[in-house]
Amino acid sequence: MIRTLYLGWRYLVYHRLKTSILVTSITLILFLPVGLRVIVDQSSKQLTARAVSTPLMVGSKGSPLELVLSTLYFRSEIPETMDYGEAAQVADSGLARAIPIYAKFRARGRPIVGTSIEYFAFRGLRIATGRQLARLGECVVGSRAAEAMGLEPGGHVVSSPESVFDLAGVYPLKMNVAGVLEYSDTADDDAIFVDIKTAWVIAGLGHGHQDVSRPEAAGAVLSRDDENVTANASVVQYTEITDENRDSFHFHGDLSGFPITALVVVPLDHKSSAILQGRYESEELSTQIVRPITVMDELLDTILTVQSFVVAGAVIVGLATLASAALVFMLSLRLRRREIETLFKIGGSRLAIGTVMVSEIAVVLLSSVVLAGLLTLVTREFGSAAIRALIRM
Amino acid sequence: MGTRRCMVGFSLLATLLVSSGCSGPATTEVAPPPTPAGDGALSVYVVDYPLDYFAKRIGGDRVAVSFPAPADEDPAFWSPDAETVLAYQGADLILLNGAGYAKWVEVATLPKSRLVDTSAAFGDRLIRVDSTLTHSHGPEGEHSHGETAFTVWLDLGLAVEQARAIKEVLAAARPEHAADFEDGFSSLERDLLAVDTELAGLAAEGRARPVLGSHPVYQYLARRYELDLASVHFEPDEFPDEAAWSGLEALLNEHPAAWMLWEGEPLAETASRLRDAGVESVVFDPCGNRPPEGDFLTVMRANVDNLRPVLTGE
Repeated sequence: MIRTLYLGWRYLVYHRLKTSILVTSITLILFLPVGLRVIVDQSSKQLTARAVSTPLMVGSKGSPLELVLSTLYFRSEIPETMDYGEAAQVADSGLARAIPIYAKFRARGRPIVGTSIEYFAFRGLRIATGRQLARLGECVVGSRAAEAMGLEPGGHVVSSPESVFDLAGVYPLKMNVAGVLEYSDTADDDAIFVDIKTAWVIAGLGHGHQDVSRPEAAGAVLSRDDENVTANASVVQYTEITDENRDSFHFHGDLSGFPITALVVVPLDHKSSAILQGRYESEELSTQIVRPITVMDELLDTILTVQSFVVAGAVIVGLATLASAALVFMLSLRLRRREIETLFKIGGSRLAIGTVMVSEIAVVLLSSVVLAGLLTLVTREFGSAAIRALIRM
Repeated sequence: MGTRRCMVGFSLLATLLVSSGCSGPATTEVAPPPTPAGDGALSVYVVDYPLDYFAKRIGGDRVAVSFPAPADEDPAFWSPDAETVLAYQGADLILLNGAGYAKWVEVATLPKSRLVDTSAAFGDRLIRVDSTLTHSHGPEGEHSHGETAFTVWLDLGLAVEQARAIKEVLAAARPEHAADFEDGFSSLERDLLAVDTELAGLAAEGRARPVLGSHPVYQYLARRYELDLASVHFEPDEFPDEAAWSGLEALLNEHPAAWMLWEGEPLAETASRLRDAGVESVVFDPCGNRPPEGDFLTVMRANVDNLRPVLTGE
């Protein structure tokens, strides 16, 4: 047995080019559907991991997919907004905790996410250097954003104007970096987090300015009577929140009407989740509630449908390749007729000769299987990192 | 033989490698339930001394109450540093006075789920301060800052409501100790209502006597006990300027008060000049911060004693 295998092995080594081509073709045909399945499975896990950890989400009525992507990955350029009062309604229901998200602004291409302190515990985010948010005007930065922007605690980052051409628009706000988060391998690594009130200041809904009732602000006064002071346009509004001016910052109007882009809702239990979802079924509401995992699963179903077509195509190509390989072997046998006759004449039995031929085929197939398996293992090992890099791009 | 083992091993390895690509469908996970609170003393942070006192009386050993404001600062206008705010963030509960007290809360990052507005239950009974100077800029029109009087605890009936809110939130956090909290609250309620009854009795005698307040912090006291009280803006540790004295003189023409309530002992010269104007000084300490001696109740009892000659004329 060993001698026949040896003969088959030596034949393959002698015709190494033909052998390499055969092994490579069969390896690829075996690897393609398997590798594709691994990639898709890992992609699904990557895309759904964040959705799985986010039980429910409330947002303005519209595309559920847009809501989920903008809230989970902070991707939407112009997200729809809803009233902050929705958070109080959810919290007051006693059915869930509500974490507001206001992710409308950017700083050098990185999303600025206005939220509450509860967000960090919810996402398991920890401070690597510096400290947590404490006061208006501060930010904590994701690890990748900090590295890319060269930020560290004590530094500053300025919000980008919404439009370069909007000269009368909101002034950029200079924020103090309080801390940098630990690497979490999520979209949070690329974000800049601020208190939601700081985000409202960026939106121009809150500001600090000179005390116009004081004599030194006389130049900023347009008119004055016993009960009201009207300031003119020269009144100095602060573009940076410091220890000296922080107490002067204030908001005008009812905070419950201020904008947010989404609510992350964490129900107390499954029953509470069902009750909450039922409350949002009315067509008359301007808000919607979604289960992020359901939305992502629907998206992935579409991808899997495409995968099925690709796999079907790969299978057809594979069959064609195997047929070609079989043809190669058959033609090879025909070309080796004299070699086979020589083996027979020097005493080789039909069984032995057949074993030599079969062993050649077996070695090629086995080698292809091993290589396909190795490629699959490599894909499984490093595919996640590659997918995450692609998602972040 | 060795080669045979190699072939068998090779085949097994191949099978293993191929099967590694064939896994079952990904399973979804549900979000984990929130971590339940620990069993130790509840960490409670407060923004003023009355809440500190109430929480300790109600919670006893079950709560660890912290009130970080320095003793020499008015907690209503105190501004904590970042480290102190972080300490507040770590509390199980943060008790707020409500009514816009402690402005720093509006510009601090605090966990909303752990904030407790102890005035929320009587929000419709808060006193709006209509005479506040407003300012306006841009299209929004007039607005002002600090439109609500915030010394709600000087109405001892509202102080009881604040204590009740504290009891309820403690019991919700530690239901196994609800009975202890109820006992603590009942004891505190009795003490507060005893002072309230005594004040009400005094006020019934002297309701018609006009009184001055050195600062606009006695609105709830005046409303509760139906005092005829008008306020100026005098500081105990500052001698008022001539404009302030002129304003007082004008006010006395309409409001001929014989007594002025002070948050603390006024300067001797201020008291002397007031006496010349026919106004005696008496201390009614709002007790927003911890007193140098005693506690909230002893301060309130001392306030009642100080108010006795004002309202009874004795």
